[in-house]
Amino acid sequence: MSSKEEFNQISPSEFFYRNRDLAGFSNPTRSLYTAVREFVENSLDACDHSGILPNIHMTIKAVKPDKPDPKHYILTVKDNGPGIESKHVPLAFGTVLYGSKFGLKQARGMFGLGATMAILYGQITTNKPVTVKSSTDGKTQDHFEMLLDIQKNKPVIQKHIKKEISETGLSVSICLEGDYSKAGTKIREYVKQITLITPYATITFDDPKGEKIKQNKIIRSMPPSPTIIAPHPYGIDVETIRRMLVDTHYQIPTVDDKMIEKVRKELGMSKNKFSYADIMKKTDKKWKSLTRPVRVVISLMSFVEADFEKLQKIRIEDVDIGNNKLTYWDYGESQTIAVDMDAESPYYKQLANTVQGESLTHFLTKRFQRVGPTAANEFCKFAKFKPETRIGNMNNQDLVKLSDALQTYEGFRAPDPTCLAPLGAEPLEKGIDRFFEPDFKAVVQRTASAYSGFPFIIEMGIAYGGNIQSRGTKVYRFANRIPLLYDEGSDVVLKVVNDTDWGRYKVKNDSAPMVIVSHICSTRVPYKTVGKENVADRPEIERELRLALQFLSRKLSGYMSKKGQAEMAKKRANLYSKYLPLVAQFCTELSGNKKEPNYKKMIKEEISIEEKTD
Amino acid sequence: MKKKQTKQDKLNKTKDLIALLKKHGAQVYEDLENGEFPKFSIPNRSISNIIYDKKLRQYVLGTNTSLRSSRNSSQLRSFTQLLWLAFFANKLTHEKKSSTLRDVYYSSQAFAVDFEDQGESDNIIVDLEAVLSQPREDFYVFPEERSSIFGDLTIEYTIPGYEGKTQNLSSHPDGYAIGPSMTSAELVDTSAELVIAIEKGGLFTRFVEEQVDKKFKSIIINTGGQAPRSTRTLLKRLHDEMGLPVVILTDGDVYGEHIAMVIKSGSANAAHLKGLTVPDAKWMGVWATDIDKFKLPTIPMTESDIKRCYDLLKDPRYQEGLWKRELEVFIKIKRKAELEAFSKYGLNNITEKYLPKKLEESKSF
Repeated sequence: MSSKEEFNQISPSEFFYRNRDLAGFSNPTRSLYTAVREFVENSLDACDHSGILPNIHMTIKAVKPDKPDPKHYILTVKDNGPGIESKHVPLAFGTVLYGSKFGLKQARGMFGLGATMAILYGQITTNKPVTVKSSTDGKTQDHFEMLLDIQKNKPVIQKHIKKEISETGLSVSICLEGDYSKAGTKIREYVKQITLITPYATITFDDPKGEKIKQNKIIRSMPPSPTIIAPHPYGIDVETIRRMLVDTHYQIPTVDDKMIEKVRKELGMSKNKFSYADIMKKTDKKWKSLTRPVRVVISLMSFVEADFEKLQKIRIEDVDIGNNKLTYWDYGESQTIAVDMDAESPYYKQLANTVQGESLTHFLTKRFQRVGPTAANEFCKFAKFKPETRIGNMNNQDLVKLSDALQTYEGFRAPDPTCLAPLGAEPLEKGIDRFFEPDFKAVVQRTASAYSGFPFIIEMGIAYGGNIQSRGTKVYRFANRIPLLYDEGSDVVLKVVNDTDWGRYKVKNDSAPMVIVSHICSTRVPYKTVGKENVADRPEIERELRLALQFLSRKLSGYMSKKGQAEMAKKRANLYSKYLPLVAQFCTELSGNKKEPNYKKMIKEEISIEEKTD
Repeated sequence: MKKKQTKQDKLNKTKDLIALLKKHGAQVYEDLENGEFPKFSIPNRSISNIIYDKKLRQYVLGTNTSLRSSRNSSQLRSFTQLLWLAFFANKLTHEKKSSTLRDVYYSSQAFAVDFEDQGESDNIIVDLEAVLSQPREDFYVFPEERSSIFGDLTIEYTIPGYEGKTQNLSSHPDGYAIGPSMTSAELVDTSAELVIAIEKGGLFTRFVEEQVDKKFKSIIINTGGQAPRSTRTLLKRLHDEMGLPVVILTDGDVYGEHIAMVIKSGSANAAHLKGLTVPDAKWMGVWATDIDKFKLPTIPMTESDIKRCYDLLKDPRYQEGLWKRELEVFIKIKRKAELEAFSKYGLNNITEKYLPKKLEESKSF
């Protein structure tokens, strides 16, 4: 009983080709929408990171307008961003998993994956190349036409020309199968909502039916750019730790001519011949100013008792800290020589440190955010590691133990939110004001919080009345400045809104002209799907959303009761002016009087009383 | 105890009512003139304010009253409605034009005080009854007619267009509807010695056919279920003005028993009104005890029938005598019999056998 299965490695391109549903390319309608999103968001990200007020122009054109949907469309998105250097263009748009967004900071997309997916989808459905025009200097523009080799995950450049141009920026154009008659509503809504959450951007859109939408920027200042920071201990897995350790762990440098030259230079002994004793003497004097590789090399020299000439003739084979033995190959004598190392020597310590890596506490404080010496020591106690444990000596089991302990230890401070880019309360309020023109608005930005190591900030706004046409609460969801339009029902924001007892805040939920704008900023928004349309209900996020909403609801409640009082006063005044004349009429006839009683002053008095109390 | 209502009495009554309405109107007028918000004091009709007056042998309202002020914005609307109704009632009374409950609802729409539905206008009518302590029939508002009368009784109409015209109520075998013209008519003459009120129209027709009016010298009235107020007023007048005893014949069930009780001592709904009861009226049957006695075919009581029995057991009027005894028997046998049940023994069994027997019996209780 044996079966033979073939195991083939597939390229990332092929993987995504096979799983395109996950990324939001499941059908022509959704695909057109997702492609729009990916390109617009890439452009916005690029502008944000370069501090340029975005100016984005998008067109969608049918190849054969008379054909029924779904049909081929040409989607072009052009921005005024920094552009992409000519040499990076083929890889950036012609391979999957190539990108610059690997640091830990908030961006709309991750890794630029989605744009490539869109290109891939376009190619699959229409077999047309992608056109990329890019200029980084504002003088010359590189114009590429290329296809993706799906199996090899490599770009195939069909055309590359250079042109004179007068501004920087990137323009990407693909041909893809889409259904604008169905996707149009969402795409137009997307363009509108983008300006609500990116009020500093101007977006124009020429739709296939000839309609032109222009959303001008509302504010001229951009929110501060996020910084790239070290990761927080929460949310770090074993693999990440292993990679960090390899990065950190300093190896014994190769001692070659170049290295020897470096040592001479640092010691100020570039020329001439120096004895071993001279070198050591000079070293004592200059130790503090020496770089780490130089220190390591000199430590080696101290045990071999080598001058520069001898150093050129040997190759270090092993530094065995456990047995205090240093072995090296001597080219002159053509044999391996072992020397004992004096454990008391300061040079021994230098070597030991190098080989074993730095201490665990040092590693934690240096490579993670929010971990100071005290926290690192406390953590070691909690995790049952010796603080001076050398990271170079840690085995696989230790790493698992370390990673587990990092997740469970509760003493770390909350993640640093400087890597986040919230919009800010004021721009959000301005956006809401211009967008909805409401009678009442309030916004709140919560302080940063974190879920499993990823910092996040909730921004929320509420608007009531005025130009809001909808009846019943309408929720505008944003995550990292992206409008989320699909899968509203399963989103955590909606859950929080629906859980709220609006009656308590004097709001009739089903008929109120009310809008809630919710913005989740995080280095990693916990989307439920790769399509990035709905946010999962992490308890930490839910809690923050709830608190934000409660704060806003209370403000709204204050407004509503004021409004209620004013309305009540008006209603009463109306009642008096409606009914008192009738009362006068009936009683006049009933009592047999000819003239009506003088009641008019009562209506006036009543109204003025109401005005005073208001 | 014969106490004939004269034309003069009737005129006086109408004059009193008009004066009362005018008095209320003048009060409102004066308040407005003085810059004060007018208000009505309305006897409270909630359950807690309804008590049984043993002397009067009917339910009456207690002393609690509630204010309806035009100052209060939640009462202003109903205050205006009430005043409008007074104004409307004044018009009806002056012009002697009758109006149904439904008419009132629609008439309001000519003015800006329109009612949400007839339920709201019916309520306001009861409010005015309570304020004036007068039944709505006195200000010419009548319910839909469903009860009728037959027998040797001569009446003289007082309504406009028929004033002075007389009518004998035995000339038409289907009977005469008890409407506004009947209720306001003078009762001139009768040869009858008894009034028989029957719950059901079918039996009423049978009684006419069997000439019960002649055989027993009686006036027959079909109450059409629970007797409407106009019918109760007429019964009272036949008793008080013509000196006729009143007997009541109903189905043999708890509802029948209560129909008789309401004619005798009024309903909680009309506790704010007096003069609608005939305390001397007698419930002749069908009693629970008759069911066995006359071997009547029965049907089982429903759960709500039984619940109604227990409810009535708590009523102060059912605490003694016949009323209590029959109620308890109903509860015991858990069965009921309709008036039609006598048909098992022949269509005229009820008039030939049962009625004489019970009439004889009724003289002794």
